[in-house]
Amino acid sequence: MKKVSLAIVVFFSISIILSSFSEKEGLNFRMPWKVAGLTERQAAAHLLDRFTFGATPGEIDEVVKTGLEKWFSQQLDGKLNDDSLNNRLKEYDALGMSNQQIINTFPRQAKIVKNAIDEGLINKDSIDKSDKAAYRSMIDDYMLKKGYRREQELYRQFANQKILSAAYSNNQLQQVLTEFWYNHFNVSATKNDCSQFIPAYERDVIRPNTTGKFGDLLLATAQSPAMLFYLDNFNSTGMNEAMEVRQLKRQQQVEETTKAAMEGITEEEKAKLMEQIKNRKKNLGLNENYAREIMELHSLGVDGGYTQADVTEAAKVLTGWTVYPLEGLGPSNFARKLIDKFGEDNLIKKGFVHKGDFFFALNRHDDKEKTVLGKTFSAGGGYDEGVELINMLAHHPSTAKFISKKLAVRFVSDNPPQSLIDKMAASFTKNDGNIKQVLITMVSSPEFWQKEALREKTKSPFELVISTVRSLDANVDQPFMLYQWAKKMGQQLYYYQAPTGFPDKGQYWINTGSLLNRMKFGLAFAAQKIPGVSFNLAALNNNHEPESAMEALKVYSRVMMPERNVDATIKRLEPMVNDPALQQKVEEAAGKAVPNNDAAAMIDTGDNENSMEGKSNTKMSEEKLARQMLRKKGAADMNTPLLAGNNSMLAQVVGIIIGSPEFQRR
Amino acid sequence: MSSRKAFLKQAGLALFSIGVGGVPTFIARAANSNKLLGPYKKNKVLVFIFQRGAMDGLMAVTPFTDTYLKAARPTLFMDAAKSGTNKPLIDLDGRFGLHPSMAAFEKLFREKRLAIVHGMGSPNNTRSHFDAQDYMESGTPFNKGTASGWLNRAAGLLGHDATPFRAVSLTSAMPRSFYGDNETIAISNLQDFSLPGKNPSVTFVAKSFEDLYDQTTSSLLNKTGKESFDAIKMLNKTNTKNYQPANGAQYPGSPLGNALKQIAQLIKMDVGLEIAFAESGGWDTHFNQGTDNGVFARNVADLSNCIAAFHTDLGTLQDDVTLMTTTEFGRTVKQNGSNGTDHGRASCCFIVGNNVNGGKVHGNVQPLATENLADGRDLAVTTDFRSIFSEVADKHLQINNDNALFPEWKGEKIGVMKA
Repeated sequence: MKKVSLAIVVFFSISIILSSFSEKEGLNFRMPWKVAGLTERQAAAHLLDRFTFGATPGEIDEVVKTGLEKWFSQQLDGKLNDDSLNNRLKEYDALGMSNQQIINTFPRQAKIVKNAIDEGLINKDSIDKSDKAAYRSMIDDYMLKKGYRREQELYRQFANQKILSAAYSNNQLQQVLTEFWYNHFNVSATKNDCSQFIPAYERDVIRPNTTGKFGDLLLATAQSPAMLFYLDNFNSTGMNEAMEVRQLKRQQQVEETTKAAMEGITEEEKAKLMEQIKNRKKNLGLNENYAREIMELHSLGVDGGYTQADVTEAAKVLTGWTVYPLEGLGPSNFARKLIDKFGEDNLIKKGFVHKGDFFFALNRHDDKEKTVLGKTFSAGGGYDEGVELINMLAHHPSTAKFISKKLAVRFVSDNPPQSLIDKMAASFTKNDGNIKQVLITMVSSPEFWQKEALREKTKSPFELVISTVRSLDANVDQPFMLYQWAKKMGQQLYYYQAPTGFPDKGQYWINTGSLLNRMKFGLAFAAQKIPGVSFNLAALNNNHEPESAMEALKVYSRVMMPERNVDATIKRLEPMVNDPALQQKVEEAAGKAVPNNDAAAMIDTGDNENSMEGKSNTKMSEEKLARQMLRKKGAADMNTPLLAGNNSMLAQVVGIIIGSPEFQRR
Repeated sequence: MSSRKAFLKQAGLALFSIGVGGVPTFIARAANSNKLLGPYKKNKVLVFIFQRGAMDGLMAVTPFTDTYLKAARPTLFMDAAKSGTNKPLIDLDGRFGLHPSMAAFEKLFREKRLAIVHGMGSPNNTRSHFDAQDYMESGTPFNKGTASGWLNRAAGLLGHDATPFRAVSLTSAMPRSFYGDNETIAISNLQDFSLPGKNPSVTFVAKSFEDLYDQTTSSLLNKTGKESFDAIKMLNKTNTKNYQPANGAQYPGSPLGNALKQIAQLIKMDVGLEIAFAESGGWDTHFNQGTDNGVFARNVADLSNCIAAFHTDLGTLQDDVTLMTTTEFGRTVKQNGSNGTDHGRASCCFIVGNNVNGGKVHGNVQPLATENLADGRDLAVTTDFRSIFSEVADKHLQINNDNALFPEWKGEKIGVMKA
């Protein structure tokens, strides 16, 4: 009796703990995969296809063991231990730097030269670039002395962290969403003024807000230096009374001085003077760029029901939203002067706002009445009216639909069912734009699990690269090589020029050139010809060497594309793979092959246009180094084949799997 | 079999010898139907350049006598008369002036090989880059659902069999203009037409890929795979290496320069190219646009130098090639608060070739007084882009089917091509 009651008590307390636990974890949802006729393993595979950068070997088993809902919930929370990733990231010292530290440490090349001249360390006349080596060493000496480092190094560290985080983070959904939201709120390193702020943008603006409220994300991006520079709002200036008076005065002054100066000078001098005056005239005013894109691309969507007049009025609301003065940042000098002159506290009392690197410059704000989307903002609204506008946009019904559709396109299919979008939009509105809840609504809907949605998405180049690394449990020591490969296949991360971000549809990614490069990537990767990337194929097959090419095809198709029907692939390749004459020839050829040329081709990922990498010294020497490494590696490989006797055939089989149409899908 | 071999030899085609075995499907198709193949008779070529970002037509080709414009652009306006240290505009006809950085266009204009249409644009007044480009490239400015691009439709209307190289875009992504059922290629570097390695392994690999792409259920991957392997079989990699432009043509090392250089290569290789696409970026000049110097000046210098180099490089083939540019919309008449310009309505475009009605600024540009402006702020669209596109397609490519090329449109042509 006692035993029984104890058991009951224990049972109840456990169930209480469990239920409170599951509520805390938000496990009050069910994924209806059974209705769609999927097995649990198929459902787990679908989850991994949609919310990670690709399944690692054995990961389906782990998801099933954890439980599908719980796994998803953990991914939404993003709090799984990531020590091993953090260990890999340790060597990158720039990743934690503030915008100010980055400006101080990695000044732009032009700025370095200017400073060197200003400080008299380089003679302006000696910048005759005919002796490039001498010039460069002069600059190098100066940089060394000042502790400056090359800008390229910053971007390389940043690109490397992207590859490593995507490949090795246990919190995969956080990585996927970081990429998604970055692309939604795209800023581009092709724009010089914006590029230095991108690392902090991704780290401080995007990452912490991936599963929170959409409104927070919208406001955070609006106030980030990267966005303020990228879409030009940093100097969008409105008219207010003080300014009108000042401008009038200035104009009078200019006219008087001009009149005085014009007396008794030649026509030519006169023209020159006019030119000078014209150039000096700082014609500040409205810039519509950001106001349009926040409505068209970030919130309402292009058909969200706004007009050109709304764009202009919204731009006025956002005048004065700019960057807090950073040392060495030209465009913020005006704010520095203001602060020096009046004191920051006094400015803030008047209605100026300082928030991190964001600054609201009241003196540049249009203080008149405005109307946006039928809502009137009364005169003198100051900083708050901008926040109100963004809040209004974040909660607009068009935004609920637009964001829900974009999420559904990313996570379900290129053409998601309207019924699903409607459910997600309703959830968005009901939950105050809570992204986590919208995603839960999505996976709780039968549409998410429909068979038509399985493997419907085409991997982007970045997804292809990372899913390859993950599917083979590869070790990446030189992530930048993989960044370059993604670029070659059509996706240079952080460099998409237009504010739309990369289009999220298969048709954009797949074309003749990119497809051929995907095949080449597969072959290079499998042959371990990409420097700094290694993996052990035998280990993936319980340290067992496949005995034939045919067996290899079967084994690795299943390891790399779990829960996919690969029968058709295998059947199609069977006659070729089984052709003994071909195998022999391939082996013979491989024995003779000199890897140098191929290796060089793999490293040279082609065009460098628009790239901040340029053809810098650093890059050249790294390439050289990589080539040397490859030569060594090639020689070693020939002596110790990965799988005795069948090395190159095996590599080719794996390469074909990576380049196959089935592996391009997720 | 032997006749086919002789046929290929005669055509100067070298089948990709160490790559994919077999015969491109288009040749097999033609052999079966006993039809004469497209590539072996000279075809006309249309080169289409999209200037993404919306070019400020009023700065590229300035109506410099317009006092309203001068007043609206205190720091951006340029004049044909020399003033101060600034370079003056190139006076074309006493009313319009070409940006000084487009000197390379002056010669083409004076030789009547360059026609300009001003006040061109889309009847849809969207000022969204994405939508405006989409409408222009689909050719249906009021229908978002159009699946095909206008150049893909044009390819289908040429009325003869084609090689895989009939429509080629020298871009890293397939442009919207090329979407559709007809075979098209997008590749940014012709050197990519190969798979790495040596025989026999490359044959094994290539054959495997070809088979797999042939069987996939994804129509996108299936179609693109087929196009890729057809192209690979046809283009000999070595032919594309070390290309030397003719007649001393010097292409700028920009993306557009590289694209046009490769288009010239394809034209000279006689692989059956009829429609080529390239793009030029950086036209969204909201901030510090500059005048005779600066970002806009660099952009127009690149555009005009690339096109002029291309034209020079073509030499005796100039009669066969017409080149046309476009941009999604123009920019505000009034400069904005950042010494730049915001999104507007009409812009201008350039058409180069021996059959254009050149040496003339076509179109209708009214004085830029507020009452003449679209929405009180922008240069009004007076020539529908479809009028220009269809006239060039009709006259140069002999496509006389405006209904199919631009459904929904029934407008007038304005005579940008010679009758």
